[in-house]
This record gives sequence, structure tokens and C-alpha cells, in this order.
Amino acid sequence: MEQVLKLRNLKVVFPTDYGLIRAVEGVDLDIFHRECVALVGESGCGKSVTSQAVMRLLESPPALIRVDALEFDGRDLTQCTEQEMQEIRGRDMAMIFQDAMTSLNPVMTVGRQIDEMYRRHNGDSKKEAREKTVKALELIGIPEPRERANSFPHQLSGGMRQRVLLAMAFACMPKLIIADEPTTALDVTIQAQVLKTLRGMQRGCGTSLLLVTHDLSVVASIADRVYVMYAGKIVEKAPVKDLFTSPHHPYTVGLMAAVPRLADEKKQFTQIPGTVPSPVNKPSGCYFHPRCQYATERCRQEMPRLKPTGKDREVRCFHPLSAGGEQQ
Amino acid sequence: MTEIMTLQNVSVHFPVRGALPFLRKGEIQAVSDVSLSIHRGEIFGIVGESGCGKTTLASAMVGMIKPTAGQVLFEGVDLNRLPRDEFKKMRRRMQMIFQDPFSSLNPRFNVYQIVSEPMLIRGEDDEETMKARVVELLELVGLSSQDLYRYPSDFSGGQRQRLGIARAISLNPSFLVCDEPVSALDVSIHAQILNLLLELQEKLNLTYVFISHNLADVKKMCDHLAVMYLGKVMEAGNSDKIFANPMHPYTQALIAAILDIDFSEEREIIVLPGDTPSPINPPSGCRFWQRCPKAMRGCREVPPEYVEVEPDHFVACHLVNGFPDQELPEGYDQPMVPREKVPGR
Repeated sequence: MEQVLKLRNLKVVFPTDYGLIRAVEGVDLDIFHRECVALVGESGCGKSVTSQAVMRLLESPPALIRVDALEFDGRDLTQCTEQEMQEIRGRDMAMIFQDAMTSLNPVMTVGRQIDEMYRRHNGDSKKEAREKTVKALELIGIPEPRERANSFPHQLSGGMRQRVLLAMAFACMPKLIIADEPTTALDVTIQAQVLKTLRGMQRGCGTSLLLVTHDLSVVASIADRVYVMYAGKIVEKAPVKDLFTSPHHPYTVGLMAAVPRLADEKKQFTQIPGTVPSPVNKPSGCYFHPRCQYATERCRQEMPRLKPTGKDREVRCFHPLSAGGEQQ
Repeated sequence: MTEIMTLQNVSVHFPVRGALPFLRKGEIQAVSDVSLSIHRGEIFGIVGESGCGKTTLASAMVGMIKPTAGQVLFEGVDLNRLPRDEFKKMRRRMQMIFQDPFSSLNPRFNVYQIVSEPMLIRGEDDEETMKARVVELLELVGLSSQDLYRYPSDFSGGQRQRLGIARAISLNPSFLVCDEPVSALDVSIHAQILNLLLELQEKLNLTYVFISHNLADVKKMCDHLAVMYLGKVMEAGNSDKIFANPMHPYTQALIAAILDIDFSEEREIIVLPGDTPSPINPPSGCRFWQRCPKAMRGCREVPPEYVEVEPDHFVACHLVNGFPDQELPEGYDQPMVPREKVPGR
């Protein structure tokens, strides 16, 4: 399969008055053609920093970035100038943000904002661009697309605004779309609509998708492969079905148990004790050991490596769990 | 079981003013004609999407908003008829826990000041008693006396929410409104806070109103629940009965919209078309007809009545209750294909 993105050993550090914040510590990421890869983790685990580093959107300084390889579509992005990056962003690689209200320009009609994509990257005339915009809006499921193109962002509902962002991201048929929490701000029924559209568009356009989210249920419904992040490190990597049927890392198990399900017992919630460690002061050994019920002396001393456990699966744990949740 | 809170035909409308203050453009019908009763010692869930009026309804319950019409009875007393000092006394027994633990705590107050403030307002002035009580409360919510002089910025989201809970229970309330208490927190912290709420309910004999948009949380927490859409209650009653047999198409769609992480069973997903219409000019008839997959022609004109279809299970839907005996539009029971174009907000 054709590889769209290859990231090796990404490290991002932010120096602050309180000490160094090691946001990302050696992340490897592979995304193949037409694949939807999810990067899952709680706030502060470094998932958004990773996705921004891939697009080279992190300002340096303050961020200190080191990476062994960052290849996109066969191109070495670390060697690209800022001007070349601007060409790539939007045309070959696009981003969808969480909050549509703050990522759209409030004083410009949504149509003009989408037109911009075609005019900037394809060199289309105003008229050509508008025709394509209307088509894109129609494709994404916005009723009366020609009229809607003349609306301002505040005149649209949350779901519609998110659709406009989708239309914008898919405008130039990029090779890779990074969606950072694309449905977190939406209501459940609207979330279902937008996810369905996103998945349909991704398949239809043959785009690869990097989905950054904290919501395992969103992952389960659209992703093909999953990376689970905790405190700046990948702790587990697996195809989606394998991950949900037999999670290996105790953190993944805990996260899955924390998603309430309709079939669950009443008046009882399975909890992971403790909180995510502070990024300035991470624990010794395995970062998850203070919250892990299986932790041993070795876990307190030594950081485990990411070890393969099966086809396309890796886990960073000395005592990975097997299918039934039992220790191996 | 006795009723602690009764709502009788409560409506809350907010005027929408035009460019000039005396030009009234219309009104937002945030809550219209809601009747519910909440029993002592239970957890009552209110579910719905944003803008459906769940927070407004909760604010009306604790007297923060005066209803435009209808009565709010707390232990049989109409809150809005009480003289001010009597109301203040009553108000102590009903408290709120807010959604965002970052904006609901004063960043310049330390833990002691935050948790003791309600006592101070009640007129407690003995430092020692207050301090002892604050330490007791902190331990109850899983914090410690060492945290007494720390500031909110020193705490994580989950710990801040614990502080908010400690403040809410400081005056020994009997009725607690939890407005989306976990939606601002990380997934792995949700369970900790919900378990704490359940534990406190048992220890302190509390009644909760639990507002949430997450149906799975509501199912696990609540004894009774009400499903709201655009200011109206669509379905209400015993939570087990509603989840076992959801009758209203909106409830069915909400349940189906919960994304599941189980790969073992295939479930049908109902994707509702369109967006929630604006509450300024809500649709005539049933408020849900524009998005309802099962809408009939009559739904557009005739508002459904709120009927008890089985003991402890109320539904407002023509599909379940049938149309009332009155003059009905022609072909009223014919299915209507939902319009593709639903006006946006």
C-alpha cells in the first residue's frame, strides 16, 4: 500500500518558567492511502501537538522540535521552506478544527472562504471558484447551497458550520486530512450526521484521514487503525477491531471501561484512579504506573518499549493484557 | 415516596428585542408547558440537545429564573409566591453544581474561601467552626485538609469539580441540580465524579436533578427522566421503562445516536435530517415534525397531548396516543416524507 505519511521519532518540548514540558516524546506515525487513522488520548497527552507538528504549524520558538523523519507523499517536509509548506497546506494536506465558529472568518461569507481555496490553489477565476463551491456545499449535504454560500458563519447552525469546514478541507481533494476533534462541539444527533458525511467523503474522495480525538466511540465508528497516546508517548497501536475486542494496554482497557454503555449495570461506574500526570513532572518508569493496578517494581523503574504483539499491533507495557482482560 | 419538586405547566419565555428597546421582535420559548414531579431521594435526569431548555428548566426549579407561567412547588410551597427572606431560607436547601469547573470557581479565592462562602452568606461567623466544616467537606469529596489554602489553578479539572461539589453540599441541601457535571472533564475522570455523586447521595440522602446530553450516563444514573426537545417534554417517566421501550421517535433517535464501542452487535443508526429549529418561532403542531422520520401530515398542525401511556411513562406523540377528537386536516394520518430543506437557525 502506498504510504501517505511517515513520521519517525517526533519530539516536541516547550520550555516554560516551571520547567520543560515534554509534550511529545518520540512518536512514530504511519498513514497509508485511503486509511482513517485515529490518534486517541486525554487532554494534554500531546495528540494535538503531534498533528500540528505534522503540518508544521508549531511555532519554533517557543516549541523545540526534533524529528528523525517527516515524509508526506514521498516528500521530506523537514526540508520544505515556509512558502512550499503554504502550497502544500490546503492543497495536499488540510485540517478540520474542533470549533467551527473560531476557525471561520466571521466577517466573510462562507462561500468566499471556500472560493479562496480554489482561487489560491487552482488559480480559478471568481466565477469558476463559486461554481465549485456550490457543488462542494451540495456534496456535503447543505440544502440550498447557492443561497447558503452567501451566509455568514453566524447565520448557520453548528452542524452546518462544521459541514462548511468539511467542504473547505475536501475542496482541493487533498491526500491527507487532519481532523482535530471534528465533532466534539456538536450535539449527538448532529454528530451522527457529520460523522456519516465525513466517512462518506473520505471514502469517495480517496483521502487519508488522521482523526485526533478523545472520544473512543467516534474512533470505533469511523477509524481503521488506532494509536493510543498517554503523556506524550504512544502506548498502544492496533487495527480498530482488534483494539476494541482485545485491548492490551491497561490504560486502553481503562479508557474503554470509562465509556458508558447502554448495556451496563446501573449506579456503578468503572473508574481509572488518579489523574493524568503533570507534563512538567512525569513519574519515573512507565508513565501510567501510578494509575495501573498491575504495576510492579520494574514498571516503577523502567520505561517499557513499544513491542509488537501481533499483526500490525504494538503495545508499550511489561505486562500486557490478553483477550479476556487477564494478565499474560 | 413523596414529591420534593413539582412543576405545573411551567413556561419560561424570554423577550427578544429589536434594535430599539421598546420594539419587541418576538420571544424565545425556552420552556413551554412542562409538568413534572420529582420524588425525594431519587435521581431525575433531564436529557436533550443544546438549546432544548434543560438548563433554563433547572434554573426555574431553583428559583433563579421566574417562570412566565405555571408554578414551581418545592416541598409543596410555590417558590415564586414566597416573600424574599422566606425564599432565601428555602433556597439554602437547593443547590447547584455547574458544568465548567474552570469558570464556576473564583480564581482569586482559596479553597477555604470558596467552600465557606455559602456559610458566610448564611451568617456563620465563627472561623473555627467553619474551618472544621470545610475540612470535613473536603474529606467527603476526596480532597484533604492540606488543600485548604491552595487556589483553583493548582487543581486539575476533576479536583475542581470536587470543590464545586463540596461548596454545593456545604449547607446540607436536600435538592441538588447537577448541570452537565462531567461534560467538561476528561473521559477517565467522568467515572470518578459520577461515583462520588452516587456515594454522596447515599450518605447525605440527597435528591438530584441530573442534566446531561449523554444518554448512557443518564441511563446509569437516573431513576426517572425527561427527554426534552425545543422546550417541550417529549417523553418522561421511569428510566428503565423508557430505555426498555422508547416510544417517542426522538427518544428512539437519541438512543440510536449513541455511538457504541461494541463490535459484537450491529445496531441500526437513525440519522435525523436537519437541525434543531430556532426556539424563537418554533414549528406549529408537534415541535419535532420537521425532523421526525415517522411524521404524519396531522403532526404539522395539531400539537400532541402529553399522555400517561403506562404507569409512570408519559409520551407526547400522535403516533402513540392517536389524534384527539377534533377537526383534523385532510389526510392527517398519512405519512409525510420529511422535507429535505429544514430552515436553519
